Amino acid sequence: MPDETPGQNPSDTPIDPLFTHPASPFIRTEAPQPVAFPSPPNQAPTAPIYSTWVLYRTQIEFGLALLAYLMVLVGSVTVLQANREADWRYYVAVLPVLPAALVIWIFLRALGRLDELQRRIHMQAFGFSLGTTALATFAYGFLEGAGMPHLNWTYVLPLMAVLWAIGAAIFKWRYR
Amino acid sequence: MGNRGCDFQVAVQVKNRLRVLRAELAWSQADLAERLGVSRQTVNAIETGKYDPSLPLAFSLARTFKRRIEEIFEAEATRV
Repeated sequence: MPDETPGQNPSDTPIDPLFTHPASPFIRTEAPQPVAFPSPPNQAPTAPIYSTWVLYRTQIEFGLALLAYLMVLVGSVTVLQANREADWRYYVAVLPVLPAALVIWIFLRALGRLDELQRRIHMQAFGFSLGTTALATFAYGFLEGAGMPHLNWTYVLPLMAVLWAIGAAIFKWRYR
Repeated sequence: MGNRGCDFQVAVQVKNRLRVLRAELAWSQADLAERLGVSRQTVNAIETGKYDPSLPLAFSLARTFKRRIEEIFEAEATRV
């Protein structure tokens, strides 16, 4: 190495810190050059994420339909309490079924949009819900015969819905 | 472990190389699920062998990985 003098030894040269001349008005300061390194391998573009919005849209529609049901229900009950002897009271009494049918339609449409594993899970959950509701109503029917107080028919649907949710949680956990 | 919880006897156990193929392309389960149009849970259940996909889903899996179905799924052992 003939042309290498001791002063040019790279280990002897002082290391230039990044900010030797911080914001000097006399010396032009420049940002350090970025280190060149090979760019990462070309990755295939990922598909756009739209499923979240689809999910939320169904939930929003479901919530709005439930809200409509509650509003019609409260209105129907109010009108019925004011007109207890009217001829048309039966029509007003079944009026909340219309938004409830809308809820069920949205629900079934959401079921149809599930993929095959989710559909299987919900079918099992529905079987669970159907069976346990049948058992519970049957058992309570016997208990009523033995003297327990009479319960309203409208408790059956919420019971089914809650048991469906429990069943869906159970079967979802099994396929985890 | 397909058809878990079923009483009828399963003649063929299906194994798959999904996790390996996915790792080769550095895709997450969510990436693959987006491409297939299914949920991430479904991809996970297929990978772990808890759920055997339907034929259409198996074909679209094969198309996504540009392989034949036999290169992804194989009938592992026969249990009688």
